[in-house]
Amino acid sequence: MKIRNVKSSELPFALATPAILWQVLFFYLPLFLIVSSSFLSLSDAGRILGFTLHKVQTFLQPTYLRVIFSSICLGLSNAFLCFCIAYPLAYFMAFRAKKKKNLLLFLIIIPFWTNFLLHVYAWFYMLEYNGVLNQILLQIGIIRSPIPFMNSLFATMVMMVYYYLPFMVFPLYSSLEKFDYRLIESSLDLGASWIHTLRHIILPLNIRGILAGFFLVYIPSFGEFAIPELMGGDRQMFVGSVVARYILGDQTGSLGAAFTIIACLALMLSSAFIYYIIKKIFTVRASYVAKN
Amino acid sequence: MKSIRLQNLTKSVPEGLVLNDISLHIPAGKFFALLGPSGCGKTTLLRLVAGLDSPDQGEIYLDEEEISHLPIHQRPINIVFQNYALFPHLNVFDNVAYSLKIQKLPKNVIEQKVISLLESFGLGSHIYKSTSQLSGGQQQRVALARAIVNEPEVLLLDEPLAALDFKLREKMLLELIELQDKLKTTFIYVTHDQFEALTVADQMAIMNNDGDIEQVGTPKEIYEFPLSSFVAKFVGTTNILQGILHNVDTSPVICVPDLGSFAIFMPNKKSWIVEHAPVLLSIRPEKIFISKTQAPNFSNVLKATVESIVYHGRSTQYNVVLKNQTKLQVFAQNEEHFPQEDIDYDNEVFLHWQKENAVVLER
Repeated sequence: MKIRNVKSSELPFALATPAILWQVLFFYLPLFLIVSSSFLSLSDAGRILGFTLHKVQTFLQPTYLRVIFSSICLGLSNAFLCFCIAYPLAYFMAFRAKKKKNLLLFLIIIPFWTNFLLHVYAWFYMLEYNGVLNQILLQIGIIRSPIPFMNSLFATMVMMVYYYLPFMVFPLYSSLEKFDYRLIESSLDLGASWIHTLRHIILPLNIRGILAGFFLVYIPSFGEFAIPELMGGDRQMFVGSVVARYILGDQTGSLGAAFTIIACLALMLSSAFIYYIIKKIFTVRASYVAKN
Repeated sequence: MKSIRLQNLTKSVPEGLVLNDISLHIPAGKFFALLGPSGCGKTTLLRLVAGLDSPDQGEIYLDEEEISHLPIHQRPINIVFQNYALFPHLNVFDNVAYSLKIQKLPKNVIEQKVISLLESFGLGSHIYKSTSQLSGGQQQRVALARAIVNEPEVLLLDEPLAALDFKLREKMLLELIELQDKLKTTFIYVTHDQFEALTVADQMAIMNNDGDIEQVGTPKEIYEFPLSSFVAKFVGTTNILQGILHNVDTSPVICVPDLGSFAIFMPNKKSWIVEHAPVLLSIRPEKIFISKTQAPNFSNVLKATVESIVYHGRSTQYNVVLKNQTKLQVFAQNEEHFPQEDIDYDNEVFLHWQKENAVVLER
């Protein structure tokens, strides 16, 4: 029997086979199906009749573009709010918490491990008409009658920020934790105020963590379906709900696919734009460049 | 150029007391070295002066102005860290220009200042490079340039040369001395390396492990006239003999058990110098003359046996053992290619020293 001589350089590819198979079966193939079904017209029996732009064109009208725009706004505001809350927290954990660091990390991870529906019910209980928040506000005397918090953009945002916060905290924390604190001390020592140090030293050197956190929050919250459905009622339509409606609807699956394509394009374009803006804000450019 | 005065400075961390009631005057325009073993609190002291930490008790004065509670960025004091702490996202120019830009100086003034400083530091061809492209010595110079470009009153250096190799360190030490001479800024140089401290300092202070200052003086005073056995042992190498004082008022001697009595020299009256006081005699290895035959005209002679010989190039180190099993070190300058006599292992030798060259210390 002849034993095949496996070259050492072939081995890594062999090791990647399961991952590649998985990727092809559950990502590229579905993606291909979505793309093809949005640009092909099919007969009722499922036979391909030809190429069409009709399905995509269905969605190029103000109603749907507004939905996409709302989703961009939802994602952006969620990422921004998460950033504003997570940055001081990550900073505190990385530089000030010392021994309490692990406890804090653990406290942030716990909700991360908790079932999603439990989150939702917990927030129902907090925000409903006779819920905890209204009771507290009534007790303090800030309001006279309960406020209907549920089924509003406010409820959606609260839940979104709550749910996505760890996705922002972790990348920020891990990049701040590696940060050499002496750079901050150097900056202060050279006469910079704390704000100047934050703007010119800490944030620019933290840009990878900021970008990672921003996109880890922005991308999934753009397509978030469950939270706006459960917390926001039907006040506001987002991309997720539209896709779900078409995909789950009778005979409209390929329309859902077409809308997905448009939403994906919008997501990619907006992400590229956000990436550019964040880079632009936080990168310090050399102030003095060699002549010639 | 201003002086720094520390008044009863105390600082503790959760692990324990670091600085214990320290008072110290650092004269204006001097190169001052703070020497102490690792972990003795000298870096803590520097951080208090810089404003990176605040003292538990005590005050810090810059000339006559109390600065203990002045925020760090308002103190005209800059620090050079051991790892340089250069800003990795800025190039050499922007690193050095950092403090000038904060002061909002006009662009052309900044350019002119930074470039001429970098050129004088031999970094003229590296102005636009990223700091990671520079060698250790060059990064060190950039860190220095960044710290002096806004002309601080006091410059703090926290073991700035620890990461450099020996040759480069020697070179940088000389450059630092030259720089200090030129700028006349007060330099405070923290190190655990006695060679560095002795080389650079006009004045130096020795700190011990308890966070106290043992002695302040010029390098020569510290080395030749240590006031405690800690200083004698920590700065340079020394041989210590334990004995009892006799004839304090006439011709003082120290009686060492099993070895006899040795003439000593005590120019200054101290409270602990009394008859029969237990004392230490510190003799530097290079102050001892070693030979196979007894030499004339020395105030003290001692017999010993050579245990081992270490050849250092410019000098030879003899490790000898005395009759009472005390071990001593002797350095002999290698002045000749072909010495008159060769001292070998197990040889009986004579150790001689003049009484003025040994120091009597309180035990």
